[in-house]
Amino acid sequence: MALLKTYDMTVRYGGLAANADVSIEVPAGKLVGLIGPNGAGKTTFIDAITGFTAISSGRVEFDGKDLAGMTPDRRAHLGLVRTFQSLELFEDLTVRENLLVASERPTWWSFLLDLVRPPRTSPALEARVTGALEALGLEGIADRLPMDLSHGQRKLVGVARALAAAPKLLLLDEPAAGLDTVESQLLGQHMRGFLDGGTTIFLIDHDMGLVLNVCDYIYVLDFGRIIAEGTAAEIRKDPAVIQAYLGQSAGEMQAQAGESVAARVSGTETGGATHG
Amino acid sequence: MSDIIFFLLAGLGLGSLYAMLGAGLVIVYRGSGVINFAQGAFAMYGVFTFDEARRNGYLRLPWFDFLPTHTVNVPVSIKLSDEGVSTPVAFVLAIAMAVLIGLMAHFLVFRPLRSAAPLGKVIGSLGVMLYLQGVAQLNFGGTGRQPEAITPDGVFQNFLGLDKAYPQGAFWAVVLAVVIGAVLWLLFQFTRFGLATRAASSNEKGAVLLGYSPQLLAALNWVIASVLATLAAIIVGPIGGSLTPIGLSALVVASLGAALIGRLTSIPITMAGGLLLGAVQSLLGFWASKDWFPTILSSGARDVVPLVAIGLVLFLRGKKLPLRGTVEEKRLPLAPYPVRIKQHMIVWSVIVIVAAFLFEDAGPRSVFALALVTSLIATILMLSSVVITGYIGQISLAQLSLAGVAAFIMARMMADGAKLTPDGAVIPFPVSGPGLPWPIAALIGILVAVIVGVIVGLPAVRIRGVQLAVVTIAFAISLQTLYFENSKATGLTAGAPANVKPASFFGIDLKSIGDRGLKDRPEFMIFVLVVLLGAIALVANLRRNGTGRRFLAVRANERAAAAAGINVSRTKLLAFGIAAGIAGIGGVMLGFNQNDVSSAGFVYQASLAYLAFAYLGGITSVNGAIVGGLLAPAGLITVTGAYFFADAEIENYTAILGGLGMIITAIQNPNGIAPTLQPLFQHFGRWLRAARGPEWAAAGKRLGPTFVVGAVLGYLVWPLRVETYSQFWMPLLGGFLALMARGIYKQARAGGHGAPPGAHGAPPVAATTSTPAPAEVG
Ligand SMILES: Nc1ncnc2c1ncn2[C@@H]1O[C@H](COP(=O)(O)OP(=O)(O)OP(=O)(O)O)[C@@H](O)[C@H]1O
Ligand SMILES: [Mg+2]
Repeated sequence: MALLKTYDMTVRYGGLAANADVSIEVPAGKLVGLIGPNGAGKTTFIDAITGFTAISSGRVEFDGKDLAGMTPDRRAHLGLVRTFQSLELFEDLTVRENLLVASERPTWWSFLLDLVRPPRTSPALEARVTGALEALGLEGIADRLPMDLSHGQRKLVGVARALAAAPKLLLLDEPAAGLDTVESQLLGQHMRGFLDGGTTIFLIDHDMGLVLNVCDYIYVLDFGRIIAEGTAAEIRKDPAVIQAYLGQSAGEMQAQAGESVAARVSGTETGGATHG
Repeated sequence: MSDIIFFLLAGLGLGSLYAMLGAGLVIVYRGSGVINFAQGAFAMYGVFTFDEARRNGYLRLPWFDFLPTHTVNVPVSIKLSDEGVSTPVAFVLAIAMAVLIGLMAHFLVFRPLRSAAPLGKVIGSLGVMLYLQGVAQLNFGGTGRQPEAITPDGVFQNFLGLDKAYPQGAFWAVVLAVVIGAVLWLLFQFTRFGLATRAASSNEKGAVLLGYSPQLLAALNWVIASVLATLAAIIVGPIGGSLTPIGLSALVVASLGAALIGRLTSIPITMAGGLLLGAVQSLLGFWASKDWFPTILSSGARDVVPLVAIGLVLFLRGKKLPLRGTVEEKRLPLAPYPVRIKQHMIVWSVIVIVAAFLFEDAGPRSVFALALVTSLIATILMLSSVVITGYIGQISLAQLSLAGVAAFIMARMMADGAKLTPDGAVIPFPVSGPGLPWPIAALIGILVAVIVGVIVGLPAVRIRGVQLAVVTIAFAISLQTLYFENSKATGLTAGAPANVKPASFFGIDLKSIGDRGLKDRPEFMIFVLVVLLGAIALVANLRRNGTGRRFLAVRANERAAAAAGINVSRTKLLAFGIAAGIAGIGGVMLGFNQNDVSSAGFVYQASLAYLAFAYLGGITSVNGAIVGGLLAPAGLITVTGAYFFADAEIENYTAILGGLGMIITAIQNPNGIAPTLQPLFQHFGRWLRAARGPEWAAAGKRLGPTFVVGAVLGYLVWPLRVETYSQFWMPLLGGFLALMARGIYKQARAGGHGAPPGAHGAPPVAATTSTPAPAEVG
């Protein structure tokens, strides 16, 4: 069953259609990827799904519910949880507190209890947070502040925070940007781990190696439109995709994914995608 | 009909003042991203300089003599002639003063603050305002002045056939405003300087490309704004009647209304908005005297209109207003996780309870009892700023007004129209009311404060940063004029205080005034202490629990907070409600302390001062609120200072020192005082626990010489200025000051601040394991 489905979703910024008639489907339990050149509209897509930007036309359905008019926090409560491309951690809270914030589900009277009783968190909550920390190997830095962490660690904390919210669908916006190859591979393994834990994942990344390696199904976006979709093997061969990536200037390409993109896209990289 | 037209036209005089001040606000905002709350104070200093030179022949410089001697002094005024200089000379002097003040504001305050958080800039400009007010009170006196107008002071009879006399001053004011508006427009639209300024306001690199230094541009814009303010006040000011430092500084509020109408970017729209505000105010003033006008609004409508305009404009435009801060928004200081709350509470309780009994019936030293109570209550009020500004990052300048709401409602709820208290004392202004017992009356007061607080918070859903600050000032002024000062709403004769019945607890009287008429009753101080400890527990628990985490998440990043499932709007309103509740508790205690409530205690300027002192103490922590409370006006530190320096008349300098403190804190130490002191205290505490005889001896050896030197200096220097108490207290104080200076010096040399103090969990391990050398103490 499709967990997330969009129907001809269009997002306009003024005259620019950052997403044009995008229809995609994310089946439960799968890892679906979205790739595309700079400015293709990938972040816009996540923004639209999670309620951070308004949809001009079309429809989004999550878990069988139409999301129209729903605020971002409601969507998060439904299990639609995202990360941000730029680092958007809560700088004043420790790593553990960052995760706690995302995992707590307060009631309207929680604040009354919070005012009068000393600090307390439920064991279930602790378990969830600890689980998310362990899933990304962050136990050692749980009591540090984000500003004391390396860029790679901060990225992982962002993912862990989303995971702590017990998402049904985890939307990751370029989680591997700025990570080195080893870190990036490790992240790929972690993601397969989340899948085994029952979380569906939607992954945006420029790291072709990562996307092609771990994703079950891939969509390719260019100038706001879906130009191709399929398994990693199909995407590697797709002429439109090669065109979209090779059509860019060399400088841009290097900036986004390193020199080996073309090579990877055209299939020289042999690491086969894992099909689930 | 002709009346309406006439009164609209009549208001243009004052409107042109708003227009010109508003234009200055826009210019400064575009030039350096600061909303200059001191704009009215600039105008004030300028027009007083003008009047003082023309009337008495003195040029009063914008600083004060801070040297503690009679023999060596800082020049603070220049005598120009015996009986006043000619108008043109005075005019030139005033403009020169405006240039000087503009340059000082830029180079000494706002340039250092250029990359500070919006709150830091707000505090900086409030500091400048307070400083200029304080200096003006010293230099020109706090009483009203009526400068002679330099425009013709006749009237146009039967103006425009409207059958009324129109003052010529107002006419010339409008002409001036229009001319200045045109000149400014030409300047910014068609000169290279204007182009560069506009380029710089969107992107600093733009100005650099045009060959200008952004800082030079900012300085020039400050000068233009300051000169504009002075010019406006000299020409238009006199038509408004008598001028006072405080009254003129308050002009900034209506001017902000005008500036916000112009979206803080357009000078012509701002000036048109200013003229319109003046006109509408004048018309409302006229209508307020009519029978059909709602009587409850008749006294306040005039002042509230500009504020309604501000709020509405901002709210309707939502987040579309150009706000530089959003681009490079800097963060507030960390809000540390509070540790060892109980231990701190016990220590403080013991100190306060000892003090409560020590100062009972202590003759002249009873002033300390009152000061301590004042500080404790101020701490409660500042805790509300800790929640709303420290935890969730919303700048509210209305917290004291919310306290006022609670106090007034409580007074009314416990009133019963009786003319005598149970002990037979006369109640000067009896008000009818339901006569509820004190706990219920207080609770109702606090609840109403919470409701009003949530309403004050509504704009925060769509407005952020300094603009929210402006809107909260608008609320503060509205509450003041429409409620506290409105005899129709309070049932009091104008300006009279409402009686507050003392509280009691199972037969124990909790009156603040004892038999001797002095406010030194230990029972009351303990009552205040208990309430304060309760408030501290609330605020500390909040920070350590989920609600506080959500507040900090919203403060850090609203988008990420929403993504984490936090309803940002509701969380902000919740914070406003909680903060208002705490402010309400403080307000109720203020009422009990004074035995009455009056509008004078809750003027919006006092609200500004409270936020400023909370910032000074450290806005993000309970400890900061405690330090802020000690520093508060009429609090322990001021009173102690006034007691020891009886002849220095320190109370004349509180505004100046407060303003300077705010500026210096905003620049040098945005974390506030508490986080800086905390490591020192921790260190000292550990040393005390570990110290035995030999350690004490070693400490004496190390610190003794410093203390003696300080004591000798205290003995030699201070008596030159301070005659009383010097024989004993001054050397002692000098000794301690020397120790403090030594400690600060050592700490600075030892490598600055290190880790943020008290952050997260256990104290630094290294410090606990090694026995600290006594040299680092104190
Ligand atoms: N708030 C906005 N207003 C106007 N245009 C926008 C806005 N947000 C994004 N855009 C434009 O929409 C297009 C798509 O942007 P988006 O950030 O979604 O691309 P992206 O695929 O995530 O790119 P990148 O790989 O750089 O992250 C871009 O041309 C961008 O300039
Ligand atoms: Mg993107």
